[in-house]
Amino acid sequence: MGRYIARRLALLPLSLLLVALITFVILRLTGNPVEIFLDVNSTPEQIAELTARLHLDEPIPVQFFIFLRDLMTGDFGESLQFNAPAAGIVLERLGATLTLASTGLGLAMTLGIGLGLVCAVQRDRAADFVITSVAVAGQSMPSFWLGILLIQLFALKLGWLPTSGAGGIQHIIMPAFTISAFLLPNIILITRASVLDLSHEQFVVAARSKGLSRGRVLITHILPNAFNPILSFLGIQIGALIGGSIITETIFAWPGVGRLILNSIAHRDVPVVEAAVLIIAVGIALTNLAVDLLQMLIDPRVRRQ
Amino acid sequence: MPNIPAPSRRQIGQATLAAAIAGAGPARAADKTLVVGASVFPDSLRPGISSFASESLLDQTNEPLVARTNEGGLTPCLATSYTVLDDTTVQFKLRSGVKFHDGSNLTAEDVAFTINYILDVRNGYGLLARIAPVSGVTVVDPLTINITTRAVFPTLLMGLSSVLIQSKAYFDRVGIAGIQARPMGTGPFIYERWTPGDRYTLTANRNYWDGAPKFDRLVIREIPDPGTRVASLVAGETQIIEEVPIDLIPQVERSPIAKVDEITSTAGLILTYDVRVPPFNDPRVRLAFDFAVDKEAIRREILKGRGEVLQGQLLTSTSFGFNPNIRARGFDPDRARALLREARYPARYPVVISTQSGKYVSDVDICNAVAGMLGNVGVNATVNVVEGGVFQQMQNAFRTGPMYMIGWYSLGDADFATVWFTQGGRRAIWNNAEYERLFLAARSTNDREIRTAAYHRMMEILHEENPALFLLGLPSLYGVNKRITNFSAAPDKILRLAKTDFV
Repeated sequence: MGRYIARRLALLPLSLLLVALITFVILRLTGNPVEIFLDVNSTPEQIAELTARLHLDEPIPVQFFIFLRDLMTGDFGESLQFNAPAAGIVLERLGATLTLASTGLGLAMTLGIGLGLVCAVQRDRAADFVITSVAVAGQSMPSFWLGILLIQLFALKLGWLPTSGAGGIQHIIMPAFTISAFLLPNIILITRASVLDLSHEQFVVAARSKGLSRGRVLITHILPNAFNPILSFLGIQIGALIGGSIITETIFAWPGVGRLILNSIAHRDVPVVEAAVLIIAVGIALTNLAVDLLQMLIDPRVRRQ
Repeated sequence: MPNIPAPSRRQIGQATLAAAIAGAGPARAADKTLVVGASVFPDSLRPGISSFASESLLDQTNEPLVARTNEGGLTPCLATSYTVLDDTTVQFKLRSGVKFHDGSNLTAEDVAFTINYILDVRNGYGLLARIAPVSGVTVVDPLTINITTRAVFPTLLMGLSSVLIQSKAYFDRVGIAGIQARPMGTGPFIYERWTPGDRYTLTANRNYWDGAPKFDRLVIREIPDPGTRVASLVAGETQIIEEVPIDLIPQVERSPIAKVDEITSTAGLILTYDVRVPPFNDPRVRLAFDFAVDKEAIRREILKGRGEVLQGQLLTSTSFGFNPNIRARGFDPDRARALLREARYPARYPVVISTQSGKYVSDVDICNAVAGMLGNVGVNATVNVVEGGVFQQMQNAFRTGPMYMIGWYSLGDADFATVWFTQGGRRAIWNNAEYERLFLAARSTNDREIRTAAYHRMMEILHEENPALFLLGLPSLYGVNKRITNFSAAPDKILRLAKTDFV
C-alpha cells in the first residue's frame, strides 16, 4: 500500500505540469493582459514597460519556462490586478469555496444516503416512487435555475433567508443546497440500487438467519458495503463539484475562488488563474487518492487487488 | 466572514435611539448602515485601474481636484478655483482646512506627489492617458499649485476628475501596496474593511469638509447576478443597486419599497464598420443600413423606452459638442432596398455583427434585432458573441469583422468619445483628413466656441460618412429604496453618497 501511494504521488507532478501548460498557453493565446489592464489610450512607454515586466515580449515557450522556474521556488508570480502574490490571493478566497463545497457535500451525503435507504426499504411503494421521481427531475434541473427559484421562494416570498452574500449559517443554506442538488439525485439512486443488490447476497441472508433484526442488518452489514460505489462516484464528481460552484457562487454572491478564477480569466491575470487551477488540481488529485485509500480501508477486496 | 446583517427599519430605529442615549460616544456596532449592491467589483483597491467600477469604490475615500457631477458637469472638489496663467500653465487654489483621515492637512505637496506618481510610467497607472499631456507640477505655496502641459490641453479639468489625491506622507510610510491594502484620503468615507469578491465596508468621515455623511456605515456588496441583485433590493437587504437589467424593471416597480432611477449615460452605442472591405467601402451601403434599422423600435421594445436614440452622431444629447441640428434618419426600409440595389449589394454576402455579452445593457438582444432588421432588406446578417479578452484582441488587430458593437463614453466632453474615430485613438479603420484636422484643432485650444464649432462639424462628417451605425444613448439604471433621499443615478456609474440619506 505504501508503494501504491508513492507511485500515485510520483505521477502527480506530471499531471500538474500538463494542467499548468494547457492553462498557460490558452490564456496567453486568447488575450493580452497589458491591453486589458491598461487604458486603450495608454502611452506606448507604459505598454512597453508592462510588457517587459511580464516577459510578454518573449516567445510563449520561454514565458512558460520563466513561469515554471519561478514556480520551483514556490512563487506563482505577482497578480497583475492585485499587485500581490497570486497564491496568497487564491488561498484567501479558497476558504469560502471549501466551506461551501464541504457543506454541500455533507448535505448531499446525509440526505442522499438517508433518502436512498428509504427508497430501498420502501421499494416500489409510494415513498420510493416519489423520491426517485423527484431525484430524476432534480438531476435535470440546472443549478442556476434552482438557485433563482430558491431565492424567489425563501428570500422573497417567505423572507426566511437572506438572498445572497456570506455571513452566518443562514447565508450558506441556499447555496449549499444548490450545490448538493447536483450530487443528491445520483447518491440517492446509487444507494438505493446497491442496497437492493446487496440485500440478496448470501452474507445478508446469513445475518438475517442468525436472528438479527432488519434494521440492524441494514446498518451494520449492508450499508458499509453500499458505501464504496458512492465513494467512487464522489471521487469522479469532485472536479465537477468545484466547477459547478462557480455558477452557484455567482448567483449567491458567494466570495469564493470560482468567481475569482472567472474574473482573472477575463483579465488574463495568468499568475492568479495558474495558482488557482494548480491548487485546485492538487486538491482534486489528493481527494481522489484519499477516496481510493478509503475504499481500501472499507473493502478488503480492493486492498488485495 | 464578517456578519453584517442588512438593517431592517426596526433595527435602524433602535440603533439611532441607542446612539442618542449614548450621546457623542464612539461609533457603535449597529449604527445606521447603507448597503449598496454593486454589479461588479474591481479585483483590488489599486488606484488608477481604468474602470468605472474601480473609480466608484476609490472615490469613497479619495477625491480629485475637480469632481464630475451626476448632471454631467464639473464641480470644485479639493481645488476651489483655477486660473489659466498661459496656454500651457493652469494654477489651482486648494481648499483650505481639508484633512486626511489620519488628521494631517492636505497640501500642495500631496497633489504634486500624486500627479508625479501617475506620470511615471514605471508605476503602471492605468489612467495616465487621461492626463498624458501634463509635463510637470510646481508647488507655489502650501495651497497653490501650477500644472504645466506640453501643449494646450482643453480637457485637463476632465482628466483631473479621475485623478484621486493621495497623501504623500502616507505613501512614504506604507508604499503603493499599503495604499492598496488600506486606502486613506480626504473623502466622505473612511476605509474599514475590504473583503475581495464580497464587500467593501467604510465608516462615515465625521470631519468631512463638505459635511458628515448622513449615515454611519457604508457597505458596498458585490452581487454579480442581476436577478439576485434585484432580489436583495426588493427584500430590503440593499438600499441601492446598480445595473437593473431591463427585463427586471417590472419586478422593481412592483415592489412596494423600491423604484427605478434612470439617467441617460454618456455612452453612445454604435456598430462600427470595417470600411476597408467591400461592400462597406461603399458609402451607399452604409447609408442603406442606417435607413434599414429602426432605432426607435429598439429603444421602445428592447430598452422599454429607456435611454435615447442617437441623433445620427456619436455623442449623446447632453455631451459637450453634441450637434442639435442633426437628426437621426427615419426608418425607411424601401429607401434602404433601393440604395442597396443601386450599390449592387451582393445579396448572400455574410455580415457578421460581433459583440460582447453583458458589456452594455441588452447588447446581444440589440445586435439580434439589428440583424433581423437588416434581414428584412435582404442582408444576410448574423450575430457573433465574443468573450471580452478575445474581443479586445480582435480590436487591437483591427479584425473585428464587417460590423462590431461598441459603446464610447464621452464623460460629458466630446474629446473623450471623438478620439475613437481618429488614427491616434488606435481603434479607427475609417480615416478622414478633415475629421482628424478638426479633432486636433479642438484639442489644441481652450476656446469653447472654437471647440464647439469643430465638434459640430465632426458630427456632420460622421452623419454624412456613416463610419458606424449610430444606435442609442444607453440608460444607466439604478434600483433605489423609496426611503432613500439625495441619491441620483450617475451617467458615469460613480456612486456619489456624501449627501445621501434614508429615513
